[in-house]
Amino acid sequence: MHRITKIISYIILIISILSFNFFLPRVMPGDPLSFLTGGPAMDMPIVLDKEMRAKLLAYYGLDKPLQQQFYAYMLGILHGDLGWSVYFNAPVSEIVIGGLKWTLLLVGAATAIYMVLGILLGAISAWNRCGKRDVGLLTFVLSISSFPSFFLGMLFIILLGVNLSFFPISGAQTPFAEYSTPFEAALDAFRHLLLPAMTLVIAHIGGIYLLMRNSMLNVIGEDYILTARAKGLSERYIMHTHAMKNALLPIITMIALRAGFMISGTIFVETVFAYPGVGRLLYDAVTYRDYPLLQGAFLIITLVIITANFVADMTYAHLDPRVKHE
Amino acid sequence: MRKKKTLAIFGLAILLCGVFSGVAVASEVVKFGGSTLGGDFGYPSPYAFYPRGMGYIYMSFCFDTLTWKDETGVIPWLADSWEMSDDGKTWTFHLHEGIKWHDGEPFTADDVKFTFDYMKEHPRPKWFKSFKHIDHVDVVDDYTVVIHLKNPVADFLVCIAGDVPIFPKHIWDGVGDPKQFKGKEAVIGTGPFRLAEYNKEEGYYLWEANEEYFKGKPLVDELISMKVSDTALALKTGHLDEASFWRKDIDVVAEFEGNPDFKIIEAPGYWVLQIIFNCEKYPTNITEFRHAIAYGINRSEIIQKVVHGGAIPANPGILQPGIEWYNPDLPGYEHNVTRANEIIDALNFTDSDGDGIREYPTGEEMEFELITIDKFSREAELIKSQLREVGIKINVKSMDKSTVDTILKEGNFFLAINGHGGCSYPDILEAPDWPAGTYHNDSYDSIFEEQATTMDSEERKQLVYQLQGTIADDLPVYALYHPKRWAIYKPEKLDTWFYTKNGIAHGIPYELNKLVFTGEEAPTPATPMATTMSTTTPIPKPPGFEATFAIVGLLAVAYLFLRKRGQ
Repeated sequence: MHRITKIISYIILIISILSFNFFLPRVMPGDPLSFLTGGPAMDMPIVLDKEMRAKLLAYYGLDKPLQQQFYAYMLGILHGDLGWSVYFNAPVSEIVIGGLKWTLLLVGAATAIYMVLGILLGAISAWNRCGKRDVGLLTFVLSISSFPSFFLGMLFIILLGVNLSFFPISGAQTPFAEYSTPFEAALDAFRHLLLPAMTLVIAHIGGIYLLMRNSMLNVIGEDYILTARAKGLSERYIMHTHAMKNALLPIITMIALRAGFMISGTIFVETVFAYPGVGRLLYDAVTYRDYPLLQGAFLIITLVIITANFVADMTYAHLDPRVKHE
Repeated sequence: MRKKKTLAIFGLAILLCGVFSGVAVASEVVKFGGSTLGGDFGYPSPYAFYPRGMGYIYMSFCFDTLTWKDETGVIPWLADSWEMSDDGKTWTFHLHEGIKWHDGEPFTADDVKFTFDYMKEHPRPKWFKSFKHIDHVDVVDDYTVVIHLKNPVADFLVCIAGDVPIFPKHIWDGVGDPKQFKGKEAVIGTGPFRLAEYNKEEGYYLWEANEEYFKGKPLVDELISMKVSDTALALKTGHLDEASFWRKDIDVVAEFEGNPDFKIIEAPGYWVLQIIFNCEKYPTNITEFRHAIAYGINRSEIIQKVVHGGAIPANPGILQPGIEWYNPDLPGYEHNVTRANEIIDALNFTDSDGDGIREYPTGEEMEFELITIDKFSREAELIKSQLREVGIKINVKSMDKSTVDTILKEGNFFLAINGHGGCSYPDILEAPDWPAGTYHNDSYDSIFEEQATTMDSEERKQLVYQLQGTIADDLPVYALYHPKRWAIYKPEKLDTWFYTKNGIAHGIPYELNKLVFTGEEAPTPATPMATTMSTTTPIPKPPGFEATFAIVGLLAVAYLFLRKRGQ
């Protein structure tokens, strides 16, 4: 019964997101055609007269009444068709998936690392509260985390990429490289991934570390920890089995909430490292008022976020059996 | 024990080498790109490239036009010669014989006729206006084609013959939606390069030389364009061989000056930043008031403080100084606070309450919003402080481009800052479409129409002079500055870079003219191909080199680790 309500609420959520995706871009001033005449640099001004404008509006179906456009959009989604991007002149699904695969790789790798590191460091810190370790870790993590991510990225590029020439300084693959084995391709992607992922890890580890430390401190004060101690269990065992598992609960929620921010919030890192991804794509889509691309990109990203939330919900229930009974 | 440690470190080093050594890339190439030239500009077919200058240029590597331009002006290209009828409405082109499409099919007059017919039927915004002048195209024989116009077009050789890419009939015949037509076939042209690879997400392109190019084999085997994280850095580290800079980048350009590995060439930007007045709203509809604001603005200060000297004060008639239509005898509106104050005083806008801000005769404070896109907000802030000295209060409001465009279109503003390119041809003076939608002047419009169809260049020049004079006097817009542009390149890679007269094709201000790479008529016996690629070819690596190294290193480390545990 509980599961059904949950699924229904997710369906309602998706439908309202679909409608928002359609109407929000259209509320902004301007339309997709204004960028066909030139950007802020405008190295090739194009004059769009009324006749051409009408032709273009008809071509993209933007001349129809709004409800008809909405209907066509919903129908397209039901058929799995996200439309055709006005500016990029390509199918929206192709563009979004092209960017999303790199974003998911980058965000996925970074999230996995900062999660594990943040949780471990937070737990260690809390367990040694006010000790040398705690103070050291606290100072260290907070100071590196407070660097702005684009600055950190530039620093990495100059120190590790240029001076040591250890790492490639831009992109996600070596351009035009021919790989003899898939392993080589993976290696190349890995080399390109390291610096941007490191930047993201450092930028995000502070929050998770602090939350874990706090949550752990709360748990340590609980009676069951005292009981465990009274039972004579080893410190290590108490920390791992009793304290950490319970302290993890708020972390799961936070990671799920952050998933959405991580996808669009990587734009700084993407820009600094010229890494392909969905953050930059979204920015361009908004600037160009590319309605179909905006709708498609938001839709796919929300689906990813909803999935992340769904997984978090399930994990939560698994970690904390009390949730199931409510 | 020490031995083992050394071994372990050695193993780890091998592992790291495997991970971090680069993947082999083809040699003998010229790489350009960076923030201006690199990035994704769409699939380079005549219909799919994005409506940006670089999109057009990428397309022009694969496709040719009837005429083209070099440093001095129009030159024959697909057409060896041409004649214009006395009324300027009929153009006969004699095509170069023996040209082949990339797929080996011969290029003939049929392809030219097909291109023009197809483009008429499937308009692309860029060429829509030009194509309104075209009546029909006749094929006389395989190598003679006649273009009939409805009226004379002054810039015909540039904006039509030198701009419309000719594409093959045998491929495009029957293509229903040219925007969606992509793939290998869609980029088959006659051009000096073939598209070998295009990666949209990463924004990189690879072109291969067309060895059978009718102007001779290109100087470069491969051409690469790519996006990089930092343009200047990429030039220094050798990730790029050439890059373009403009405006405030003058600071970056200074870093390269005197560096023997690089050469710098400078060119006009064919671009103008201007302040736009609403000529329909009180008080900016008063011509004298607009003059006063122009006197109140200190353009040299803007150029020094905001773009660090990377621009020249603009021609108030908008066209770039130095081009053949530039009118040098226009009022300059040199910064003059006294003059500005006198004019506004005479209009009866005085500061009656002594707070330093003038009031309207009704007693309301004189306060305007200055609308700008984020990119030019520093210029706007400076103008705000400059106009404060003449008693006008400005609030800067910076927004994104689409919003600014909408506001300009709706006429819901007093002052706005905006910039645009195209300052190398008189077409840009067309009103009211561009640049100021609130300015209406019938005699201006009719002069514009007249110059657009005047084939006599001296006569046309006088008309364009008049247009610039009208703009400078009426001041619907006040031009602030024309930025400079620079190309920085490694001469040891390629030394043929130059800037095209009035920009590539219909005024695109970059240095990526395909002539740079084809070396048309450039090679002379005296300089034995100093321009060809003589790069150090990287030692070819056997495939799987890194992989083997990595695995060996990993095994070594694992072995030692396990040994240690076992002890």
